[in-house]
Amino acid sequence: MSWNFQEISSTVDAEIKSVHDQKGLEAFRVKYLGKKGLVSEIYAALTDLPDKERPLIGKKVNDLKSKVLELIEKKAQEIRQQKEEDSSSAIDVTLPGIRRAQGHKHILTQTIEEICTTFEKLGFIIQEGPEIESEFNNFTALNIPIDHPSRDAFDTFYVDVKDPQRKDRNLLLRSHTSPAQIRVMENNKPPLAVVVPGKVYRPDAVDASHSFMFYQVEGLLVDKDVKFSHLRGLLMAFCRKFFGSKIRMRFRPHFFPFTEPSAEVDISCYICEGKGCSVCGRKGWLEIMGCGMVHPKVFEAVGYRKGAYTGLAFGMGVERIAMLQYGIPDIRLFFENDIRFLKQF
Amino acid sequence: MKISLNWLKNYVTVHVSADQLARRLTMAGLEVEKTSSVKGDVIFELEITPNRPDCLNIVGIAREVSAIFNKPLKKPQQKKVSIPKQKVEIHIENTNDCRRYIGALIEHVQVASSCEWLKKRLDAIDIRSINNVVDITNFCLMELGQPLHAFDFDKLIGGKIFVRRAKEGETIVTIDEVERKLDPSILVIADIKRPVAIAGVMGGKETEVTETTKNILLESAYFDPLLIRRASRKLGLTSDSSYRFERGVDMTMVGGGSRRAMGLIVNEAKGTIKKYADVFPGKSLTRIRSINVSLKRINTFLDTGLSLGRCVKILKKLGFLVTTKKESIKVSSPSFRGDIKCPEDVMEEIARIVGYDEIPLSYPPVAVSHVKPDSFWNFKQKIQEILLGQGLDEIITYSTTSQMMLEKSNLRHLPGIKILNPLTKEQEVLRPSLLPSFLSVVVNNFNRGQKDLRLFEIGKIYEQGYEKEMLGILLVGNCYEDWRISSQEPIDFYDIKGIVDELWTITGLDSTYLPIKDAWLLEAIAAAAINIGEDNIGFLGKIKNQILANWDIKQKDIYFAQLDIDKWYKQSSFSRRYQELSEFPAIVRDVSLAVKKDIHFHRIKEIAYRHGKDILSSIKFIEQYVGNKIPVGQKGLVFSLVYQSRQRTLREDEVIDVHERICQSFINELGATRR
Repeated sequence: MSWNFQEISSTVDAEIKSVHDQKGLEAFRVKYLGKKGLVSEIYAALTDLPDKERPLIGKKVNDLKSKVLELIEKKAQEIRQQKEEDSSSAIDVTLPGIRRAQGHKHILTQTIEEICTTFEKLGFIIQEGPEIESEFNNFTALNIPIDHPSRDAFDTFYVDVKDPQRKDRNLLLRSHTSPAQIRVMENNKPPLAVVVPGKVYRPDAVDASHSFMFYQVEGLLVDKDVKFSHLRGLLMAFCRKFFGSKIRMRFRPHFFPFTEPSAEVDISCYICEGKGCSVCGRKGWLEIMGCGMVHPKVFEAVGYRKGAYTGLAFGMGVERIAMLQYGIPDIRLFFENDIRFLKQF
Repeated sequence: MKISLNWLKNYVTVHVSADQLARRLTMAGLEVEKTSSVKGDVIFELEITPNRPDCLNIVGIAREVSAIFNKPLKKPQQKKVSIPKQKVEIHIENTNDCRRYIGALIEHVQVASSCEWLKKRLDAIDIRSINNVVDITNFCLMELGQPLHAFDFDKLIGGKIFVRRAKEGETIVTIDEVERKLDPSILVIADIKRPVAIAGVMGGKETEVTETTKNILLESAYFDPLLIRRASRKLGLTSDSSYRFERGVDMTMVGGGSRRAMGLIVNEAKGTIKKYADVFPGKSLTRIRSINVSLKRINTFLDTGLSLGRCVKILKKLGFLVTTKKESIKVSSPSFRGDIKCPEDVMEEIARIVGYDEIPLSYPPVAVSHVKPDSFWNFKQKIQEILLGQGLDEIITYSTTSQMMLEKSNLRHLPGIKILNPLTKEQEVLRPSLLPSFLSVVVNNFNRGQKDLRLFEIGKIYEQGYEKEMLGILLVGNCYEDWRISSQEPIDFYDIKGIVDELWTITGLDSTYLPIKDAWLLEAIAAAAINIGEDNIGFLGKIKNQILANWDIKQKDIYFAQLDIDKWYKQSSFSRRYQELSEFPAIVRDVSLAVKKDIHFHRIKEIAYRHGKDILSSIKFIEQYVGNKIPVGQKGLVFSLVYQSRQRTLREDEVIDVHERICQSFINELGATRR
């Protein structure tokens, strides 16, 4: 057996250089000084050596052992120092924090809640109604006769379910949230003030500003002495609150079969500030809701005594308002649910 | 509808600028959508609401202007036309279809191109000039709102007019040179042989007035609005005439319009009026409606302080017949205002001419309502809150889907509700499940490389007889981003289960999860039914690979849950009461078992609580594993049993006692071995 102590020494020097941690150091120690390590091996082999060589090899292996121990001690100290430095040196505070991201409420839900909360604070109570409705609730009770031209605005989806009250007619998907008002009035006595959010459906070809399914929020207030000034005041206040005090508003006469007098509320166009552009159709005004005093024929349909009550009603399209408020250019974005869109709000 | 300012000025003085006029008209309910300056004139484009057919003509607009600005209205003036005694032969089949028909035969007309003033008027509002006779009928239409039609009398076989329903199989070539099929639902004007016009909609080509026409029959009539509307829809044909008939023309103006046109024709195209007939079966039916409304009522309702004089003036200017008695107004509406039926209609007239700007602003006092608050709404909001806190994003999808999407999603057995008149395939059916909607969203996002999705929706599903609100949850991709961990764990069943478990905190109900072996939508290896008590309220698990393959979704680990929140809500109680915090220390004992692989953890829990009685307060699951030292076909379970009493400190020996009993039961009842 012969060992090239020169070579071993160089190897030891090289190997200690690549030790960086406790684990590596331990492996190094075991390799040389462990029970089965090189030094033990050499010691064991000493007895088999001829007497002449024994002292020389013995000295060499002792030197080796000392060297390794020294290197280990030095390296151990290095490692200890590094550790201390590491634990006392500050971390990189600019690395990203670990986020447990909050989920995002859909922007339409947020808009609906904002609208409803504004009215809730005034005493209106949130109610919901079914999406599948009868012709009576969707049209007849609202003074919209089936064949009247004013019905054009309300073209509807019919479903494959028969109307339980009129076996010859089918039910439909409500084209506005107004039917819920009929339900509220039929089931409650005045005074009442409700706000009704919900999905509505119209067979419109889908494009950047039209969707066959969208949301409306409807409001209804019925009592003994509701005045036209209440309607104007309430809705102007709502607009100011919702769109900010800088916005200009217009309360303009219009026509709905279920209200009289009727009006539409316009706000000055965000984009062109009233000068006229492609968004507002060059009018400078954006129509955001319809409203009016409840028509006596509607009270008649729900069985209220003639002349007993007056009421105000209003309705607005949620998508339209959200698109104006947040600058969303295409209504289809709401229903595609691309998470890059959802996560913006 | 387009109107020319210069033309308008023939009937009323306008002393304000065009823009001001536009604004005032808009604020009176006649919305001016566009104002344009054209060749020394100003053209307004008006949007007239369906209740105001009287404003579909320039005199009607002039009347409004006269009321708004309190200026006199100048009705069209012309020399009186002499009406001959000889009658045109007119036969009306059903007087409900046509309540008035005037036919005037004018002979020896000189049909030629119109003179300048007439051309100018029509050109300003984009009506093409044809010849003097046709142009005059269009002029009167736009001036007075009465649709008129001129026939070439010599082409009318038999020289008689029949107002009747078309017969099955009859056809007509209209002036636009299109042949149209007719049927008995359509009203026509006919001679003794064939239809010569689609009543109220469009005239026939054969009898149209051309340069060679010598004698004309001028028609002015009132047709039933519904009939005209249905015919127009059926044939897909509308005209300026049909538009006005649908909304109701003025019965009185049928006569006025005829006379105006006759006068103009005689002036411009020469000719002699030879025969005339005014068949007026609807005369007896025209009622004058009288409405009474007090000044007090007006001012209370509008919240104004208007004087009686001002109200009366406005109504008179609008053409109403007004008488007053003390502080009450009696209003009779003219024949051109069929929309005025009740006091509210009268009050609106006053309000809009006064101007809504004069209506004060006030807040309605909202009395305490009888309406019960909707606690279901609040319940849904709580669900949203929790899911948002769990990092899920809310989606809103269409309520409809296509048959194909249902098939792709293995939902053939749930028909949903069919829509009878969809515009596209995506609107064929109201969805019976939220899954197709969610998968569409997955596809949309995956196509854009967005593969980590945590989504929820509260939306309805539909079946014959009901619509109900469901909660849908979908997870796919990685859990949270954490750069400190070198290898990310993808989402699995227990992630979605954990989210659903969080929801039970709203209602404090006990839920159980039962494995489903043959779910329609889920892979058997990870599918559970969610029950509350005996009631099944939903399911959750890994979406079937086959379904994902049908949708071309390559990713296979997608987890979905659907809960019936209507049902869940009905079961729930929302009362919360404080529970005393135990002052007494807990003793925790870990248990490590090896059991057969098919033993589910709920059995461990059941045995533990059964034997643990009053002192076992909770069980905490720690770990499940296979491999080293666990026999084949078995798994290792590690969990802690936490013993605690509310009344006293537990003694070591009583805990040991119970604990041993429990562990022994595991061995006896489940064949477990302790480790």
